[in-house]
Amino acid sequence: MQRRYRTVSDLKENESARAISFDDPTLAGKLTAMGVLPGALIEMVRCAPFGKAYYIKVDGVRLALRTEEAATILVEL
Amino acid sequence: MSQAPEQAAIRVALVGNPNSGKSTVFNQLTGLRQKTGNFPGVTVDVKEGKIKLPSGREAMLTDFPGTYSLYPTSSDEKIVASVMTNPADLHYPRAVIYVADAINLEKHLLLLSQLIDLGLPVLLALNMADTAAEMGIKVNLAKLSDSLGVPVVFISGRTGENIQKLIVELEKLLLQAEKNPSVHPPFYRLTESEKQVVEAVRLNLGADNPYRALLLAHHADWLPFLQKQERDTLAAITETKQFQSLRAQVDETLDRYDTFSPLIQEAVQRPPVYPSTPTDRLDNVLTHRWWGPMIFFGVMLLVFMVIFYGYETTGGWVEAGMNWVIDGMGSLAHRLGGEWIANLITKGILEGFKGVLVFVPQIALLFFLVTILEEVGYLARVVFMFDKTMRRYGMNGRSIVALIGGGACAVPAIMGTRTISNWKERLITVMVTPFISCSARIPVYMVLIPVALPGAGWWTWALVFAAMYFLGMGAAFGSAWLLKKTLRTREPSYLALEMPVYRMPHWKNVWLTVWDKTTSFVSGVWKIIVVITVSLWILSSTGPGDAMLRAESAAREDAALQGLDSLRTNDLIAAYQMKDSWAGRFGSFIEPAIRPLGYDWKIGIGLISSFAAREVFNSTMYVIYSLESVGEQEEEDAADQKPFERYISLRQRMLDDRFDDTDTPVYTRATGLSLLVFYALAMQCMSTLAAVRRETGRWRWAILQFVGMGLVAYLGAWVVQQIF
Repeated sequence: MQRRYRTVSDLKENESARAISFDDPTLAGKLTAMGVLPGALIEMVRCAPFGKAYYIKVDGVRLALRTEEAATILVEL
Repeated sequence: MSQAPEQAAIRVALVGNPNSGKSTVFNQLTGLRQKTGNFPGVTVDVKEGKIKLPSGREAMLTDFPGTYSLYPTSSDEKIVASVMTNPADLHYPRAVIYVADAINLEKHLLLLSQLIDLGLPVLLALNMADTAAEMGIKVNLAKLSDSLGVPVVFISGRTGENIQKLIVELEKLLLQAEKNPSVHPPFYRLTESEKQVVEAVRLNLGADNPYRALLLAHHADWLPFLQKQERDTLAAITETKQFQSLRAQVDETLDRYDTFSPLIQEAVQRPPVYPSTPTDRLDNVLTHRWWGPMIFFGVMLLVFMVIFYGYETTGGWVEAGMNWVIDGMGSLAHRLGGEWIANLITKGILEGFKGVLVFVPQIALLFFLVTILEEVGYLARVVFMFDKTMRRYGMNGRSIVALIGGGACAVPAIMGTRTISNWKERLITVMVTPFISCSARIPVYMVLIPVALPGAGWWTWALVFAAMYFLGMGAAFGSAWLLKKTLRTREPSYLALEMPVYRMPHWKNVWLTVWDKTTSFVSGVWKIIVVITVSLWILSSTGPGDAMLRAESAAREDAALQGLDSLRTNDLIAAYQMKDSWAGRFGSFIEPAIRPLGYDWKIGIGLISSFAAREVFNSTMYVIYSLESVGEQEEEDAADQKPFERYISLRQRMLDDRFDDTDTPVYTRATGLSLLVFYALAMQCMSTLAAVRRETGRWRWAILQFVGMGLVAYLGAWVVQQIF
């Protein structure tokens, strides 16, 4: 089924996209406090060696996120 | 804990995000005038240090854990929110020094704006001024200070630039706050529903600051200073006003960014694109799919080898030095106080100290290495790479920091788990970390490995030494897996971790950390050691009635029959007296319980005294096998450069030892290996148990750990005894 939205976990390596919103209120609080804001440019840097986590860059800040955490950040198509 | 003069001191808080370089600034401000104290009530360690203000007054600076906001998720972040919302708290500051990274200023201002809204006088220290300038980032200080409404100072924690200016500004701020408390317009305008909540809270709890009232409503269920009744009132308020805390938090955060982002854009000029930095290039390799893990294991191997070889040199120096001290003190005490006093000092106290001091350089070295890995920013990458692996065992990527630190000492490692927000992940980490072979086990391994395999070569010993570490790791992960299957929690678990820019270690930070951890370790352990070695010496040199005299005459008769020289006769007397002493009797009493493992009563005493701390085993063995009469010849052998050789005299005594009833050797290969396994797996450290009790809040986890590890150790030791 064609989805209407993408999340950070759909990004390929070296791909960037702007964040739109969050779909988990608890994580949203944590992520916004860390500087992941709607409108921020998110770059997928790489996947963790054993999988299940991503290395991303948000406006020059480097973050490690789990796959599930990244999947709560909706990005523009 | 809190004496009157300290309460009277001017409290200043040092606050900032993680990775803002806050601890470097703290070290620059306080230097060696710092100590580790305690937050009353929440029993969390905190660093405090004195600052001398220009007027000569002194301020007490508290270093708070790094956090992003006053909506915390982990227990160390909670400290900031719970102190800043409680003016009655001992640590509640009269002013705040807020450290922010000038390079990513926008991302560091959320918490600052919250503190300002709480009505706290704040001084903004813009850190890493030097690096920011290099990157082409220009900050208009006057404009920034104006629009934020707080004084701003450009500093560099690394070079110490402008630290004095920061102190001058701090005093100005304090004086100003004393005269007329500043009234900033709040950064965040409350929504209509929040206003209602705030009004109700102010009415019922008398909180005058509106933002403070709002935070009380948000955190009603966990703020430690709230009374049961206040909690209920707050719960009723949020209930009737239909206050949705989570949603309100996100909305507030976004609103704050909207307010201060334009201000920053006006005051800060930055280059249009972020260039590819050395950090990116390093991470291409260090977090690479294949290279990343391989480099990690390489680094760990290197650390392991440094421990192993470092022991050889430093331990030798300390032992030689201590022997010199023991000889000197012994003859001095002999002249001044007679034989009994001399024996008490040399055989009781100093021998005990020797057993500990020998590995103090070791533990300092390990703290040094772990601190460097942390300082350069590498540990955050390790957390990222191994999060999945750790989760499989019910832990968090952050747990790996504790497990690595556990290789030095479990106590600080367990305290470091506060960064893990999920209770279950944190608990499992706390429970299994003591399985990792800590530096206190090293001297025990060094004595026992050659005893178990006397004929084997040096390489085999090194291999067995490494095997002990793997055994500990296996036990840690195995029991973590078991705990994962048993414990239940619905709490969410996070990784969400910022990976700092790679930096050269700041040496002042490294030295202060190593100094602090090592001294607090030694000061925690030396009293126990003295008490145990002295009481052990007394218990092993006295007995019921005239038992000691009878043992001596029996030994003299046997020695005469065997035609021993006076030196050997004295040894025989000591051995006979040991057996008949209180300690000997107690050891014999518990011998049936440990005989299945192949241990005799002497090992029994060693095990019992080791419950204070593992390293006491060596001190105990030195006392039990009273080694003062060992010939000069053996001392010279001990000067050999190989690490295992140092304990040659003790080892020889142990190998010569025989069971009293069966006259078979006590230390066979099986017994030696089984004892090694027991020491690798058993929970024999009072300090760790105390730390576990403190960090989990309950004795039950400490007791479970003690019993569980004891059973695993007994079982493991028994199996080894059967196999070999």
